[in-house]
Amino acid sequence: MRNLLDDYALISPLRYRNIWLKLSVVAFGLIIGVSSVSPVTPLFIALSMGFATVFFGKTPPKFYLALLLAPLGFAIAGSIVILFFFGSGSEVFSFEVFGYRLTANAGGLEMAVLVISRTLGGMSCMFFLALSTPMIELFSVLKRSRIPDSVIELSMLIYRYIFLFLDVAICIKYAQTVRLGYTGLRRSLYSIAMLASTLFIRSYEQGEKLYIAMNSRCYDGKLTLLDTKRPIRVSEAVLTSVYAIITIALFVR
Amino acid sequence: MHVMEGFLPGPWWQIWFALSIPVVAYGIYRLDRLIKENRGILPLLAVAGAFIFVLSALKLPSVTGSCSHPTGTGLAAILFGPAITAVLGTIVLLYQALFLAHGGLTTLGANVFSMGIVGPVVAYVIYKVGMRMNLNFYAIVFLAATLGDWATYVVTSLELALAFPADPGGIVTSFKAFATIFALTQIPLAIIEGAITALIFKYIIQVKGDVLAGCGVLSNARLSKIRGTAA
Repeated sequence: MRNLLDDYALISPLRYRNIWLKLSVVAFGLIIGVSSVSPVTPLFIALSMGFATVFFGKTPPKFYLALLLAPLGFAIAGSIVILFFFGSGSEVFSFEVFGYRLTANAGGLEMAVLVISRTLGGMSCMFFLALSTPMIELFSVLKRSRIPDSVIELSMLIYRYIFLFLDVAICIKYAQTVRLGYTGLRRSLYSIAMLASTLFIRSYEQGEKLYIAMNSRCYDGKLTLLDTKRPIRVSEAVLTSVYAIITIALFVR
Repeated sequence: MHVMEGFLPGPWWQIWFALSIPVVAYGIYRLDRLIKENRGILPLLAVAGAFIFVLSALKLPSVTGSCSHPTGTGLAAILFGPAITAVLGTIVLLYQALFLAHGGLTTLGANVFSMGIVGPVVAYVIYKVGMRMNLNFYAIVFLAATLGDWATYVVTSLELALAFPADPGGIVTSFKAFATIFALTQIPLAIIEGAITALIFKYIIQVKGDVLAGCGVLSNARLSKIRGTAA
């Protein structure tokens, strides 16, 4: 049940590469992918990023494919609407539902394919970041930006507590399941509400304890993090530039 | 309901960022002031954020197995008000994108707008109005969570419709189409989420009601009155 991408990032060999290089690769892919007008460019980005994640990042391919399937439900539901209501051009196919005539034309089909490919491209860039960079390393980047300290502090504390509460929640859920707490809709509703309220009360108490513990250790509103320097290697720079050049060539074409 | 990465084209993802950033900035300003007044609030806000995330990581018992994000934001809006919920929502949405592959980075602005801003604001307004009118507390919580969730879903459909207007009929037609297709899952889901949120409050009040009094959600007099009727 606990399937956080962050867990995979922690064991990925790409974790020890320069974070700015990774961030720029991802930002480049995201922006080029979302502004591309042909489906080829996002698909190329998806392929390259997927290859980098699975081959260099050693993410299990099965897990990666399962991840890619997750957004597809949303993408397909949205694309169906686009297919039938968007664009003009020659009719591709049509059928009747409850007396309504639904027609898909060339423009709509093109747009639907484009949107799905953009989603694939964007998701694969995001997965590359999520599966290669633990959040801890992103905090040092965030600290350098102009985002106020209070927000970063809050995100770091949230990050820490996610793992604690997730463990508690999973334990409770197992305990409830073996006691047949999730048989039938009505009982599941009661079970999940009980789980959530227990979790809330525990987290509140935990929050109070944390405040006391940090205050007694001279907490002044700032946790300091040290970041390590990781120079960009020549091979990485070359590979990245080749990828960028091909992508731009596909984009301009 | 998260808009997936890459789904919003051209000017639209930037527009939603432009709309969300001022609200979140105002939330940060409020947050800073709150922390200056009472530093003890920061750990509490942090655990609330983690709580929202963990709720969304657990699958709701529903037909589609969709995530339960709005449950947490409705709760946070009632506890902390919409401005701070916007900040918490932004952080949680970023984590959801990076840890769970819900939503995306370019669509973060749109998702923050629908789930971190509009939903909580609607939930908060309904909660405040309901409390003023002295309705049953659990009914108010149920309505706030359900309607907040529906507001989120309407805004998401609008975001998609604006980006992809139908050729004959324009935005209105495509809005109807998106709204219909998502209504299949979202309308029952919102009712379930409303019920769960109301039940959560019921358990919290029964087990440890002084937490809510401490957050300033309920006065002690009101609390004992609800307890009296619930028992």
